[in-house]
Amino acid sequence: MEDWLWTALLRALAFGTPILLAGLGEIYAERSGVVNLGVEGMMALGALAAFATAQTSGSPALGLLAALAAAALAALLFAMAAVGLRANQYVAGLALSMLGLGLAGLLGKPFEGAPLERTLPEGAFVAGALLLALALWFFLQHTYWGLVLRSAGENPEAVDAMGVNVFLVRYAAVAFGGAMAGLAGAFLSLAYRPSWADGITSGLGWIAVALAIFASWHPLKAALAALFFGALYHLSYRLQAQVTPELLKAMPYLFVVLVLSLSALGRGPSGAPEALGTPYERGERR
Amino acid sequence: MKRLGPFVFERELVAPPGRVLAVSLAAVFLAFFSAGLVFWAYGVSPLLAYRTIFQETLLSPGGFAEAVRRAIPLLLAGVGLVLAFRSQFWNIGAEGQLLLGAVAASGVALFVPLPAVAKLPAMFAAGFLAGGLWAALPALLKLRLGVNDVLTTLMLNYVAVYLVGWLIHGPWRGRSAFGFAYSDRFPPEATLPLIPGTYVHWPTLLLALAAALLAWWGLERTVWGYRLRVVGDNPEAARYAHLPVSRVVASAALISGGLAGLAGVGEVAGVHGRLLDAYQISLGYGYTAIIVAWLARGNPLGAVLTALFMGLVFASGDVMKVALQMPFRVTDVFNGLILFFLISTERLLYYRVRYAPRKKGEG
Amino acid sequence: MRKTVLTVLLVLLGALGMAQGDKLKACWIYVGPVGDYGWSHAHDQGRLAAEKALPWLETQYVESVPEAQAEAYIDRLVKQGCQVIFATSFGYMDSVLAAARKHPDVIFAHATGFKRAPNVATYMADFYQLYYLNGLMAGALTRSGKVGYVGAFPIPELKRHISAFALGVRAVNPDAEVLVRWIYEWYNPAAAKEATEALIADGADVLAFTEDSPTVIQVAAKKGIPSFSHYSPMQSFAPDYVVSGQLVHWEKIYIDFLAKVHAGVYTNKNLQDVDYWWLLPQGAVELGGEFGVPVNPKFIPALKAKKVKSPVFGEISVYDLVMKELALMSDVELAFDPFQGPVTDRQGKLRVPAGLRMTKQQLETMEWAAPGVTGPWPNEPK
Repeated sequence: MEDWLWTALLRALAFGTPILLAGLGEIYAERSGVVNLGVEGMMALGALAAFATAQTSGSPALGLLAALAAAALAALLFAMAAVGLRANQYVAGLALSMLGLGLAGLLGKPFEGAPLERTLPEGAFVAGALLLALALWFFLQHTYWGLVLRSAGENPEAVDAMGVNVFLVRYAAVAFGGAMAGLAGAFLSLAYRPSWADGITSGLGWIAVALAIFASWHPLKAALAALFFGALYHLSYRLQAQVTPELLKAMPYLFVVLVLSLSALGRGPSGAPEALGTPYERGERR
Repeated sequence: MKRLGPFVFERELVAPPGRVLAVSLAAVFLAFFSAGLVFWAYGVSPLLAYRTIFQETLLSPGGFAEAVRRAIPLLLAGVGLVLAFRSQFWNIGAEGQLLLGAVAASGVALFVPLPAVAKLPAMFAAGFLAGGLWAALPALLKLRLGVNDVLTTLMLNYVAVYLVGWLIHGPWRGRSAFGFAYSDRFPPEATLPLIPGTYVHWPTLLLALAAALLAWWGLERTVWGYRLRVVGDNPEAARYAHLPVSRVVASAALISGGLAGLAGVGEVAGVHGRLLDAYQISLGYGYTAIIVAWLARGNPLGAVLTALFMGLVFASGDVMKVALQMPFRVTDVFNGLILFFLISTERLLYYRVRYAPRKKGEG
Repeated sequence: MRKTVLTVLLVLLGALGMAQGDKLKACWIYVGPVGDYGWSHAHDQGRLAAEKALPWLETQYVESVPEAQAEAYIDRLVKQGCQVIFATSFGYMDSVLAAARKHPDVIFAHATGFKRAPNVATYMADFYQLYYLNGLMAGALTRSGKVGYVGAFPIPELKRHISAFALGVRAVNPDAEVLVRWIYEWYNPAAAKEATEALIADGADVLAFTEDSPTVIQVAAKKGIPSFSHYSPMQSFAPDYVVSGQLVHWEKIYIDFLAKVHAGVYTNKNLQDVDYWWLLPQGAVELGGEFGVPVNPKFIPALKAKKVKSPVFGEISVYDLVMKELALMSDVELAFDPFQGPVTDRQGKLRVPAGLRMTKQQLETMEWAAPGVTGPWPNEPK
């Protein structure tokens, strides 16, 4: 019985790691007031960049950096549209998701199928993700710039009045979110299943978006939630004889809807940052 | 008012149609240009690519018919989304509603005994209802509890996918399918006729065109449509004027879900003839319909053109796969770029540009 | 006048030349990407080998063709001059038949299908013999008595493979179990990984699979668990842990078929009964995780050390048993078949009476599970 639990825990952690990494990034972006639905595309670009660089240069560390850069770049593109040009954030994110997946699939053709020579240990990412969750929580709750970030999402006018550039804060938060998605992608192609194939992200980016909400935009809760989602996925194979696998796989998504509804019932607004999803216009009355 | 060198940008409240067209075309052009860069990076000459696309889609009757066939579900779902977006119900769930429509139609086709002449109408009705209901939950949550509709509709897409998976592997698995993931084939009276020589299932096409017309007429000529437009443009003012906001938004949501459901019926009854893997049915139509609706700029009749355009984009992807050996992802690149540039140039619609160089002596 | 005579002569000569060694264009449609290292990749390797072997052959392919689009893609290929079209997935069946009616001059061949037409042949290279041999080795190597199998879809093709595998395992280890987990996709590395981990957690210490990637091998190797390669030579992904596997040579079928088409033996009118069901004797399949290496040398000592009592050969090492039965099954007369009676299923029901073998039809529609198979088995007959 104990062995069962231990394996489930380990697998849940492993599967939950990319979700957690990308989810933490999404939390930061959304805390600053920007919904980034392009996580899936950025994760794919990160995964490809990591693999392609690691494969050609022989250094997985370089691949990691490439992943961060590629995904952050894509995120900046999104930020330009959503923050700079005040475009509809949801649709802009969707566009980046399509674009990211498409580009990764297209440009990744020559790298398909080949295994990676030097890989990175899964455990390093798992531990790193948990540490990051802790660090990011601390930064968010207990530092000045964390406060600024949160304010940009709750009350951007106040931040503006303080003399801090709201746009820069949001750009930075979104770029960071993108980099985290890239990190998640790097985990997939350098450690989890060291290779590149189109579709390697298999919807994990969307689960990460769901995670950010499910965890009430709280980095520590996100770690628990990622564990929970990972456990569901692992159990859908473990318990295949007893439980319909599709039910377990659909659960994360159903849970998000449930959580959103419950928190709306419970205390009125869902605890989301007030200005989430609304482009900031300096001097305009919202 | 913003100044950029000798140009002055003045904000306006309404975008004149001429500018809308110009900006939309510019966005599409930018998208195609960027796509050309991607082709070049991949090793395919952009000129060759575009020439091949042009030849195989617009100039070839078979190719054009294929584009029309792809446009059918895009038009149905797109018209629905135009209505939904107009009422500020951000329905990202057309993909899932399409699948629910397919499920309902399959259920009626395979398991409900009906006289042959009633089969297809019943399938369409069931599909409309199922799709509408799938949109009803997010609508309800939004109207009663203020829950974000983008997220709830998005989440339900995935639930729909798994529902289809469960059905075709479990209770609805086909006896003749040898365990492969399909339902049984629909009986002949449950399949749609095609235009001879093509794969275009014309009843759904007619339905789609009718839906566009009805939606336009409804929006522009009825009280319901008027209310919907007010609610969408200014929900506060609508509430102040005691308009039944909830009912209006709910109706738009249900109709958009229902139309997406009809698209799903068309796919299983007109293209596949059975229920199969979710991704084989929807092929991303639900997400592309968002682009169709966005490009149509709130006009259901405009959706006819934009759906055809996106149908051509899909068909182009197929052409590139066969003729130029490019991977299927190329369609996603197109879609993503078009949507991205459309979104980015959105604000330009509301800015009037004047050439007014600074005079000497001005600050 | 002279010009006309010359032109006519040239045309006649051209026509003569055309009749002898003219080019043939054959096209393939794949259900997945050729980079998947599995099913579609193997077909593409077959295509390339055929292209190399037949100088008059010109080929083209389209990958990741969704079943909804198959007919439209076939139309395009025909327009591009394809004279022979190979459809490499069961799901293309209806599209192929419809397209065949539409293009009666084009020759079609449908892999894993069972419906034919005057211009539609079917073909299959099946692994069940290889899986039996793999099972013998798995049974010898397992210490926990639990062998794991990650399956894609519970269809007859996989069911007969898993059952053959289980028969082999039980022949060496009568108490062993074959634990099955389904991932309901042909290609999903993440699912394959988690399914593998789940099987290992359940005690499996030898693994086999049907999934179009080397994920299972890599995951198993990380835990020091031996596995069997599938479809493409995957031994290089874990040279110390891949014992053997199943390999395919689609080119054997492709070259045979195309040569016959080119010579006029197969036409667009006489394919109604052309159905390739090629196994070891025809060289369409090969035992091993690497071409030319039926058993990984690293595992030969362990397999030689394990001895069993075979009804035919008496006391024999598993390695020798594998080699002997491989030879018997490679014989055109099929001197040995894993499914030769009596065979009961895991519920105890007799499925193959003594002295009989399973017909091809029975194999193609097989739904029952051999004894030793544990786990979900959808559509199990009562």
